[in-house]
Amino acid sequence: MRAWKFCLRLSLVIWLGIVAEQHAAKAGGAATSPLPEAIEADVSARNVSVQADFTGTEIVVFGTVENSRQPSAEAGTYDIIIVVEGTSIPHVVRRKSNLGGLWMNTASVRFASLPSYYAIASTRPIQDIAEPPILTQNQIGFEHVRMVKSGSGRTQITDAEDLAEFRDAVVRLKKRDGLYIQSDYAVAFVGRSLFRTTIKVPPNVPIGVLNAKVYLFREGMLLGEYKSEVTLARAGIERFLYDVAYRHGLLYSLGVVFFAVAAGLASAFAFRRE
Amino acid sequence: MYVYLPIAELPVQVPLFLALGCMVGFLSGLFGVGGGFLLTPLMIFLGIPPAVAVGTSAAHIVATSVSGAVTQYRRNNVDLKMGGVMLAGGAIGTVIGVEAVRLLRKAGLFDVTVSLTYVIFLGVVGTLMLIESINTWRHAQSTGGKKRKKSGQHSFIDGLPLKMRFQRSKLYMSAIPPAIIGMFVGFMAAIMGVGGGFFIIPAMIYLLRMPTAVVVGTSLFQILFVAVLATILQAVQNKSVDIILAALLITGGVVGAQIGAMSARKFKGEELRGLLAALVLMVALRVAYDLVVTPTELFNFGPLQVSK
Repeated sequence: MRAWKFCLRLSLVIWLGIVAEQHAAKAGGAATSPLPEAIEADVSARNVSVQADFTGTEIVVFGTVENSRQPSAEAGTYDIIIVVEGTSIPHVVRRKSNLGGLWMNTASVRFASLPSYYAIASTRPIQDIAEPPILTQNQIGFEHVRMVKSGSGRTQITDAEDLAEFRDAVVRLKKRDGLYIQSDYAVAFVGRSLFRTTIKVPPNVPIGVLNAKVYLFREGMLLGEYKSEVTLARAGIERFLYDVAYRHGLLYSLGVVFFAVAAGLASAFAFRRE
Repeated sequence: MYVYLPIAELPVQVPLFLALGCMVGFLSGLFGVGGGFLLTPLMIFLGIPPAVAVGTSAAHIVATSVSGAVTQYRRNNVDLKMGGVMLAGGAIGTVIGVEAVRLLRKAGLFDVTVSLTYVIFLGVVGTLMLIESINTWRHAQSTGGKKRKKSGQHSFIDGLPLKMRFQRSKLYMSAIPPAIIGMFVGFMAAIMGVGGGFFIIPAMIYLLRMPTAVVVGTSLFQILFVAVLATILQAVQNKSVDIILAALLITGGVVGAQIGAMSARKFKGEELRGLLAALVLMVALRVAYDLVVTPTELFNFGPLQVSK
């Protein structure tokens, strides 16, 4: 009975102590103007080597909110958006229409640059995090991916509505190929200031530099951003073959022909005795 | 088991592509065609970028046609003289074809031209071969003998100059028709990205009236050189030949080609032609279907070739 009372009293004391501390913290925060929040982030691997056994990879993006005022990991004071973009490659997008009963490409738009890969992860849906102008300005989200229309070409589309249709088609086709990925709620805080997410890099990603950008928001305001990059590079036999193919095209082609002829002859002679 | 392709920039399943190479090699050995008209669409279907699929199938055709041509040569079934005349025409046709491809691309009409040529040529050739093989088969069933060709059918061809003796084919005829056929095949090969076997075989049988035994070997001989040229051009100009992918397809292909060549002996000529005709017609119908039926996705895209 006495022990039970003691326990109750002890827990009351502890509880009061916590409440008092929280009060003190709030009061202190109000008195001296709070330090502005900033963001620091990094990626788990700066270099990824693409070798014969490459079947895609995963990049962990993590970081911290400096001077976090968030009371807990679940409080949701801050929003994080992480965008990882692949190298820009010129693309041509074609649209079919029916001409005399046959479906053929009748219109095309050339893009001088559009990201070959675009992954976006956030603490919640991006339209809930910030207003469209901010997202547009920072090229956050599929509707705001930077696509530069090329000036050249004959069958060019100039109508804005038409152009939007081509843009949507790019996003749709890239999503189908697994190269444009969006995951809401994928970024999670693991403490008052520490957050992390895992970005999936599919095996068909074009090789080059991936630019990672991390944005910190509070109540729709962009407080800070941080950049990092991951370099995907061929290594070993992949690198050797690629270099030979691009630098010594004739030698490479003769190598392929030699291999093909040798294999053909070998099999013809191997089966001869049967 | 996956392996990463350095040029195509994606990993592929090793057993799947060995099997694909073997299957196409089998058909190649069986019918004496390169099999490009099957291999290229199948590779694209399996996710290989179209440019790499076209370039790499040329390398596969080199291997299977060497394998088949050597086997046929040993059986004395290759008419080198006829093949040489056709190749001379083929080289000219390829050059014209490459230029035509450039002009069609410029006009944005390339895709539809390829589809239409596939439908028209595969359709016409397939139908004619099917009818002929069924007739021959029926005739053989009823009389038990081989259909004799009528004499005096060569009135027009017989009048042409530059007559040559093609001993292996037991023909004495002008070099112009085989050269023109070769030229046409070279032209088609450049446009369609195939060796042209499905076209050259019926042309040799029905237009040149070469003995069936010599046709398969001679066409493989011609296809071999067209494919070597195509492989080199594709690798040097377009960087679109993937050596790892080629190695997978070839390894499966040469085995398949030998099995095909052995199986071919178990069939009669008209039966083989009938089967090839059915296969050719199937591909033609598939392409026609895509051309006519409303596609679910109207858009398509690809990387833009930056000319250096």
